[in-house]
Order: sequence, then structure tokens, then C-alpha cells
Amino acid sequence: MNDAEENPLLTREGEVGLVQYYDFDYDHPFIFEDGQTIPRFRLRYETYGRLNRKRDNTILICHALSGDHHCAGVHTIRDRKPGWWNNMIGPGKPIDTNRFYVICSNCLGGCQGSTGPQSINPETGKPYNLDFPFVTIGDMVRAQKLLLDHLEIPELYAVVGGSMGGMQVLQWAIEYPSFVKRMIPLATTSRQGAQSIAFNEVGRQAIIQDPEWKGGNYEPEEGPRVGLTIARMMAHITYLSDKGMERKFGRRRRDSGEINFSFDVDFEVERYLRYQGQSFINRFDANTYLYFTRALDYFDLPATYGSLEEAFADVEVRALVVGFTSDWLFPPEQNREIVQALLRRRKHATYAEVPMDFGHDSFLVDAPNLYALMVAFLWDQ
Amino acid sequence: MEKTLDKRTVDMRIISEWIERKSSVLDLGCGRGVFLEYLIKTKSVFGVGVDWDMEKVGSCIKRGVPAYQGDLAELMKTFPDKFFDRVVCSRTVQELNNPAKVLLEALRLADAVTVGFLNYGHWRNRLHHLLTGNHIITDADPYEWYEARPTHPISISEFESFCDRHNIKVTRRVYLGGDWETPCEHMYNLLCGYAIFEMTQ
Repeated sequence: MNDAEENPLLTREGEVGLVQYYDFDYDHPFIFEDGQTIPRFRLRYETYGRLNRKRDNTILICHALSGDHHCAGVHTIRDRKPGWWNNMIGPGKPIDTNRFYVICSNCLGGCQGSTGPQSINPETGKPYNLDFPFVTIGDMVRAQKLLLDHLEIPELYAVVGGSMGGMQVLQWAIEYPSFVKRMIPLATTSRQGAQSIAFNEVGRQAIIQDPEWKGGNYEPEEGPRVGLTIARMMAHITYLSDKGMERKFGRRRRDSGEINFSFDVDFEVERYLRYQGQSFINRFDANTYLYFTRALDYFDLPATYGSLEEAFADVEVRALVVGFTSDWLFPPEQNREIVQALLRRRKHATYAEVPMDFGHDSFLVDAPNLYALMVAFLWDQ
Repeated sequence: MEKTLDKRTVDMRIISEWIERKSSVLDLGCGRGVFLEYLIKTKSVFGVGVDWDMEKVGSCIKRGVPAYQGDLAELMKTFPDKFFDRVVCSRTVQELNNPAKVLLEALRLADAVTVGFLNYGHWRNRLHHLLTGNHIITDADPYEWYEARPTHPISISEFESFCDRHNIKVTRRVYLGGDWETPCEHMYNLLCGYAIFEMTQ
């Protein structure tokens, strides 16, 4: 018996299995919305399934703040953890790789292989750090479009994403109306509200106030680990819900069940948050965290286009917008507003609300209700 | 069972006859979107349905019918005056929380509002209630009280007096007998099983 036979992510039916990433190098200047230019950029991406002969079966996945291009399958036969949306993507799954050609790229400004603050500025030979331009949701989408042009994809069957990914989905439908046939924004908003900006600011301050941040000029293997951990711990709370946390952790104690009268980890929920924070610093760059949270904060479709109706004036796609009852970061109301504005523009739009206790992260977990909606929208239409 | 299914579609045929090609229609309590799918296919309407039930909205998606899962009063508030050509409220009115508010809001949203409802004044309903004292069970609403949704049983004459009181003009009336098929010619409040009104204001 070899390793591959032991790993259910490779042997189980309906899994994408072994995948690899690719790099797209765009060797021309790219002008950001903030007016700054970089001479070239790279996007790291993965693809699953096959492009059909008519080249009309591509689904683009847009990842959220802390996500990346690796959304399904495993990289090695020893990987125990698949890509972040493995439950949704695969043969026979809602985003069915037997039908669809699935593409997901690490956003511009990211830290998982795409050009971002950590990358070397070819003009100075040093990392960009804070010299990296401010990246917006619109910049991320324009960079993705260049990737799709490079792959000679003439149209998107659908563009799908939750949270920050949902913002990109909306931006796609607005910027490239005839290119996108369907969109599924999940657990998202058309306009980052005060509460979300406030949480982002606390996270950023945790990073910036960490002396190891050094004005953004930390060494690659160092950096504001404490600040980034705290930012992640706090943000993670906003992705859950009161009810969900109560069910998962309650007041459960870590070991003996006794109170330790210490400030060390007493409760299971503390252990969980510390673990989340620790594992985050090993895979995420603090400056990218600053840039991406700013991209979220600056996202405001009504202000950019005059009103949400104006933003959607030329949209041609069919839309399925999904909100989650327990999401208090981008609550159902903010998802409803998207559909209401689309309908006022007489667009083909549907709103569905999934009752789940997992808070904002509901869109990422195993949810048969959500699968049924996605299948109804994506298959055989 | 087949009879029940027939009853579910009979008002759909009549209501759709009043709908113009390429008009825009809001369907209050759209269920699984069967009616709107028919309208979209046969009359190329811009149609939107609204329903509480996620699973039913899933069926609408499968049919390619745009639908909004949620509170119909909340959704209606978000549209400007006369945004739709017609609002349809078929077999929903008896379950509304605030029927007057919803119907007046419907008249704000469209020049024409179609309301189809069961006439609880039908003689069989009266007789059933008189003989047993129990709540009225109909083919369209066949549940025991403890399984049924809250219902306001309304009669044709009550609906007419509502329209009078709110200066609503009824432009068309269709009365069907107890079989929901044969036109009912007289003594509507006693002999009509299902009524369809077209209103304007």
C-alpha cells in the first residue's frame, strides 16, 4: 500500500485529486486605480476540469481575504488538507469539474505566489513593501481578466465567490458585462460598512503597532508576528457566530476541566483562536493583510458609480445572490440590497437565504442547502 | 389528487390571459415558479417572484425564474411607483399578515393587480362549518388546523366591501363554481368557489 492509496482525498470518488499551480507572467506595465504603475506582475493560479471545444464552460472562483488560488484538490500525496473550497469543487460536486473548467488565481497584491508587497520591485531590486500600489477590488479583477485573455477564454460561464470574492464577482459583472454569463456572489456586500471598516482598522493597528512591523520593511522571514496573530484572532471571531461558537466550544476547558486561575489558555475557544492565529502567520504576509483589508474598505459600488442601480445599469448576467442568516459581518440585508438594485434595473436576479449557524464562514462549510441552490443555478441552464 | 392539481392550475390559465406580452409582473407568493415560468416562456414577460421558502426558491432557480426569498412586504417597499405592469397575488391573500397594506402597496407598484382567492362564503364551506363547527378544509388548503398556516377566510362580499372602502376600482371579475372550472353566473357569494379580481386605483 502506498501513500496515495491511504489518502482519501486522492482515492475517494468525486475528488479533484492531485493538482498543481501555474504562474502567469504579465510582462507589461499595469496601472493601478490609485495611479501607480508596476512594470510587470505575476498571478499564480490553478485550474481543474477541462475547457470544452466551444470554450464556454469556464467558472472563475474568486477567493476571500485570507484565501488563495488553491481551492480544490491536494498538492502532494501526503497533503491531508485540500484546497479551501474542496467541498464545493470536484467531479459531481456543485461546481462540477466534469462539466466545468474551473480557474482560481491568487489575487494581485497577494502573498501566495502572485505579485504583492513581498515581491521584488524590479526597479530597486528590493521588496516593494509599502511602495506597492494600493490595490483595489477593481485592480484584482482587471488582473484576472488579463490572465483569462492569456488563457484565451472568450467568456465566463459563471464567476463565483464569497466575501471579498463576492465583491470581485460583482465587479466582474459590472466591468465585463458581456464576458460573464452568470454570477454567484455569496455572503458579501456592495459597500463595505462602518462596522467592517472598524474591525479591519483594529486588525491593521495590531500589525502596525507591532515594533517588528518596522514601517512595513521587515525581513521576509520575520515581521509583526504578534500583531498579525492578534489581527487574525479578532477577524476570525467576526467570521463565526455566537450560536456557532457556543455549540463548537461552549465553556469547555482545555484539559482537566478545572479553572487554572491563570491568563494562559483555560478555555477551548482560546486554544482554537490561538491556533488560528499561529497557523495564519506561517502562511500569510502582514503587508498583504494591510493592503487587502484596505481593498475591502475602499469597496463602495454606490459611491463609485453614483448609485447601486447605476453600477448595475449595463450588467447582463444572471445573478444568484446568497446570504446566510447568521452572518453578521456581511449580513443578509447587505446581500438583499444587491438583488433589490438588480431587480430595479430589471435584471435576472435571485436572492436566497440559507439558514446556517456558522456565521460569515457559512459559505465555506458543508451545506447541502447551499449545494442544492448552486446546482439549480449552474447545471443544465 | 389529480383534481387538486387541476385546481392549482385553473386560475393560472385565466390570470395569464390578462397579461400582455413583454409586460413586467411581480408574483406575490410565487411558490415553485410554475406560473412565472409559463409567463416567461409564452409571453416573454419580465417576471419576479417572491416567496418565504428557500426550497421553493430553489425550484424557481431550476426553472430559470428570478425569485426573491424573503418577506414580500419588505421587497415591495424597494420598488418605485408603477414599476410593474401587474402584480399577481394568487391564493396568497388569505395568508397575508396585513392584507390591506399589501394590496394597497401592490396598487402603488402596478396599474393592475390580480387577486385570486378562495371564496369561503361558498355554500359547502358554510354547510361544513354549520354542521361540524370545525374550521374549513378545502381542496386547495387540505390541512388540519394544527398543520395549516394561519388563514383569514374571506368571502367575495367581504372582498368587495374592502375594495369599496379603499376606493379600489375592480375592472374585471371572474367567478368559478365549486369545481373551480364552470363559470358561476349568479349568487356569487354562495355559489362561487374561486374568484379572480382585477383591480386598479
